[in-house]
Amino acid sequence: MSELRPITALGAVLPRFGSFGALEIRENAAMALASLALRFGTVEPMPFGLILPGPGRWVAGQGVAALWTGPGQWMIEAECCIELDFAAELKQAAPRCSVTEQTDGWVAFEIISRAGAIPLEALLSKLVNIDPADFGPGRATRTGLQHMSCFVVRRGDTHVVVLGARSSAGSLWDALETAAKRLEEKVT
Amino acid sequence: MTRLSGGLIDRSRTLSFTFDGKRYHGHPGDTLASALLANGLRLMGRSFKYHRPRGVLCAGSEEPNALVELRSGARQEPNTRATTVELFDGLEARSQNRWPSLGFDALAVNDLLAPFFTAGFYYKTFMWPKGFWEKLYEPAIRKAAGLGSLSMRPDPDAYERGYLHCDLLVIGAGAAGLAAALTAVRSGARVILTDEDFRPGGRLLSETETLDGARASDWISALKAELESLPNIRVMQRTTVFGVYDHGIYGAVERVSDHLAEPGHRVRQTLWRITAKRAVLAAGATERPIAFADNDRPGIMLAGAMRAYANRWAASPSETIAVFTNNDDGHRTARDLAAKGVHVAAVIDPRPEARACADYRLIAGGIVTGARGRLGLTAIQVQANGKSEWIDCGAMGVSGGWNPNVHLFSHHRGRPVWNDALQAFLPGEGGPSGLLPAGAAAGCFSTAAALRSGAETARSALQEIGIAARLPNLPCADEEGYTIAPTFYVPGKKRAWVDFQNDVTVKDIKLAHAENMRPVEHLKRYTTLGMATDQGKTANVTGLAVMAELDKRSIPETGTTIFRPPFTPVALSVLGGGDTGLHFRPRRLTPTHYWAEGQGAVFVEVGQWIRAQYYPRVGETHWRQSVDREARAVRRGVGLCDVTSLGKIDVQGAHAGEFLNRLYSNMMATLKIGRVRYGLMLREDGFAYDDGTCARLGEDHYVVTTTTANAGLVYRNMEFARQCLWPELDVQLISTTDAWAQIAAAGPKSRALLDRIVDGFDLSNEVFPFMACAALTVCGGLRARLFRISFSGELAYEIAVPARYGHALMERLMELGADLGATPYGTEALGVLRIEKGHAAGAELNGQTTAAMIGLGSMVSQKKDSVGAVMSRRDGLASDKRRLVGLQPLDPAGKVVSGSHLFALDAPRSLDTDQGWITSACYSPHVGSMIGLGFLENGDERLGEVIVAANPLEGESAHLRVVPAHFVDPGGARLRE
Repeated sequence: MSELRPITALGAVLPRFGSFGALEIRENAAMALASLALRFGTVEPMPFGLILPGPGRWVAGQGVAALWTGPGQWMIEAECCIELDFAAELKQAAPRCSVTEQTDGWVAFEIISRAGAIPLEALLSKLVNIDPADFGPGRATRTGLQHMSCFVVRRGDTHVVVLGARSSAGSLWDALETAAKRLEEKVT
Repeated sequence: MTRLSGGLIDRSRTLSFTFDGKRYHGHPGDTLASALLANGLRLMGRSFKYHRPRGVLCAGSEEPNALVELRSGARQEPNTRATTVELFDGLEARSQNRWPSLGFDALAVNDLLAPFFTAGFYYKTFMWPKGFWEKLYEPAIRKAAGLGSLSMRPDPDAYERGYLHCDLLVIGAGAAGLAAALTAVRSGARVILTDEDFRPGGRLLSETETLDGARASDWISALKAELESLPNIRVMQRTTVFGVYDHGIYGAVERVSDHLAEPGHRVRQTLWRITAKRAVLAAGATERPIAFADNDRPGIMLAGAMRAYANRWAASPSETIAVFTNNDDGHRTARDLAAKGVHVAAVIDPRPEARACADYRLIAGGIVTGARGRLGLTAIQVQANGKSEWIDCGAMGVSGGWNPNVHLFSHHRGRPVWNDALQAFLPGEGGPSGLLPAGAAAGCFSTAAALRSGAETARSALQEIGIAARLPNLPCADEEGYTIAPTFYVPGKKRAWVDFQNDVTVKDIKLAHAENMRPVEHLKRYTTLGMATDQGKTANVTGLAVMAELDKRSIPETGTTIFRPPFTPVALSVLGGGDTGLHFRPRRLTPTHYWAEGQGAVFVEVGQWIRAQYYPRVGETHWRQSVDREARAVRRGVGLCDVTSLGKIDVQGAHAGEFLNRLYSNMMATLKIGRVRYGLMLREDGFAYDDGTCARLGEDHYVVTTTTANAGLVYRNMEFARQCLWPELDVQLISTTDAWAQIAAAGPKSRALLDRIVDGFDLSNEVFPFMACAALTVCGGLRARLFRISFSGELAYEIAVPARYGHALMERLMELGADLGATPYGTEALGVLRIEKGHAAGAELNGQTTAAMIGLGSMVSQKKDSVGAVMSRRDGLASDKRRLVGLQPLDPAGKVVSGSHLFALDAPRSLDTDQGWITSACYSPHVGSMIGLGFLENGDERLGEVIVAANPLEGESAHLRVVPAHFVDPGGARLRE
């Protein structure tokens, strides 16, 4: 463990949290990420027991999950091992694949609805051009969000995570927060 | 007051509003136009060119006359149609395009000068003297032209965008639209129903006819309740679908809070992008006027609008009205207003066989030939059976027939087709795929036919996408037919208006015809017909008809009307979707941003990145003081700069080396593990486009760095190469730019500083020489990467740690380096240092320069092929003899200005003698004067020569000496120290 103290993507010691009506948005600063890409002639691995998902999909296992990012490419996420060298662990689990450390490349905002899927889908409709009818739990896509390229993952019926570039975390938070606040303000 | 009984207004509440400063009252449910009429006002505006007094013509978004400035202060909005403004308490509106008042407008003198202002008068009148156009004519015309005025203040309101998806989009909530929505929603399809009005019903709200024997509004209310109870439909009132785009995408604007006095914290409008598998165009129809002498008197309006004001808004423009109609529908206006107690002075119908449908005076076979009443209609002149008479009336409804609203259908160049029976254009072939017209928009003018058409069209649309729908039981409705005789204008000597908003008259069209501007495209541009903000919704067909008659051809032979988005005006603010100020584009912050903020750094935008430009210290009053200090600190001690924004691309795979060999102009496959090499990339056309470093971390693992500006472009090009050019190579790429915080530590004491943070790593020159790289740990176990590379020409390193530790690392380096003079430096000092060292950057790699020009010709390897290598050897590039040189003023106090062009001493200054230009310039604290880099013809052979740098923009020139581009340590000893 280094003697240096990290800060979050939003420049704070603790992850940011916001509650907006039925929605809450939580910065997930404890998620380790590494990319996994198949090399020529390698068999698709099952890192940490995960069956790697197909296009537009995300699968979760015990404390780990995988997101399809391109042909033969995935992002593997893990909870609670941010201080470990997760890329090295993944490389051990998939030694014939190309693995790259991605933990600090991204900021993750978990969006959770306390009142069913409707508020969540209403929020998404102000952010991303995704058809909610085709975006149930387990679906994932890379898409533009306020001119930022993001991964949007439907973790559950009432739970979505948005992964954006760490450097634009502030702009991404602004976009999510602004849209969420506006949902609270009903016009009559 | 001319408020009638009935109507769909809430009389239990009274709203107060002002028009031209005078207070009036209306009710919820009113529009500004209906409230003004109910308050006895017929005069609402002035025309564009002649400043003619004008009243309201329509009752919907097609209105050309009643345009007002709404609200005040920064929210002042010009050219707002009074017919679409929902009345709210405290509304402020002003008439526009008049001075000093609406009743007396001095510029109405234009009306007297009308003979000089005919179509094409600009082109004919302002020809001479030539110089007057810019100095006199254009400014004068611009001042006189236009309608309302802008506040010239920033828009204070918020806007947003959104995305919706559905099986069926129904555009319009009139009879056809409601029937379509009902059919679709009961089938289980996902439906979006949009309507520009603030209550559903469309034309049904303006008629007295019954549905199933009850009021239409009852049926609408019951249907609305049903729709709102269902989860598979989204009903969007106050929402205009303004355009049809590719792949079933529709643009729509929802006026979220325009009906409120102020939006408060809410958005004002939302721009929706709706993706629909199918859409039903149930946009209804727009009535058109008949042109006759002085037909623009306030009080003369469309007959359907007059009926709408009476039935829906309980307002009449006058207690005595007349109707001039060439079709059956106009008679309904007389019938309904008479039933409301308004005196109908006469109904004039050019059709000899016309029949009255109620108890009013019918003048069959008659025409209206004139109108009196400058500020408000007082009488009309009627000619029938060879006799002429003046009939007193305060208002007249005019109906020349109905034009189906084919606008959206035209957006993909769908050509409407002429229908003789309806005397109108109907949707034809070639419209947007998946958009199906229904109801009045498809020429089904009776309520029963519109209902049926809506339901059947929805069923067909759903069938196409595999959803079975059953036709609902539709209410029993009016099947009344619609007959029309083609009367478009009444011949006469006086001016008869066709396009009210742009003041285009029948005479103008005749002039266009006489001057051979006969194709509709020429007619439009010569007369400005249909070019106003209403896109000629009430004018185009009439204009065509007049031209057709003059040309002795049929209307379809003369041309068709084609409309483009937007259907109605859309504010640029909402198209921007709220992306203003700090939200104009995403901001990318470096890992040390907050640390730099704490140091009082001044920031600069570098693309999306916000980088520290310099760090002013107490007592420094000019940026140069800070920058000079920072540059000196690097040369003498150690400087620290966040260079995270430079692109980093992780390259892995069995063929990674070969892949990089093909991308870089120089050899990369021979790079040893643990070493870094400078690399140059060329475009396909042989020009240089990016430079950076390539570090080999393992047998099949490289990290490529790019310039900040080209990080995205290089990554994109590499992906293209990987996927499309050489799919046979086993290569995997991913960006790691954001993942690593990278800090440059530059200066003679940089090694001493880094020695204090590395965990037992030997930084000696022997173990870790210039251009070495390694993975290591720092500060007690933190994973890091170290590169011994230099942009400044000094002993230097770049250290990368996981981005979340960038802030803490910078703090630690500053703390540990205090005794070494550790100094943060920004992009300005970075620029000074690299100019002093003669390193090319964006100003040199500007897309017009070759490797040879920047002195790196030998880097384009002859031993292998790479992108752009062959093209770089073509004559046009290889023969370019301009070379990068250093430039220094003869007088140490002299200026070097980038952008200046270079000439030989005593040579004339022209394009022919131009020998190059200065790309970069700065004050060099190391040299003690300004210095520059530039491309000079045969520059490498002219060292020592004195040349002239001309800066004609500022009228300056300077004598400069040509020197080597390396002002600092030309031998490179410091780097390798």
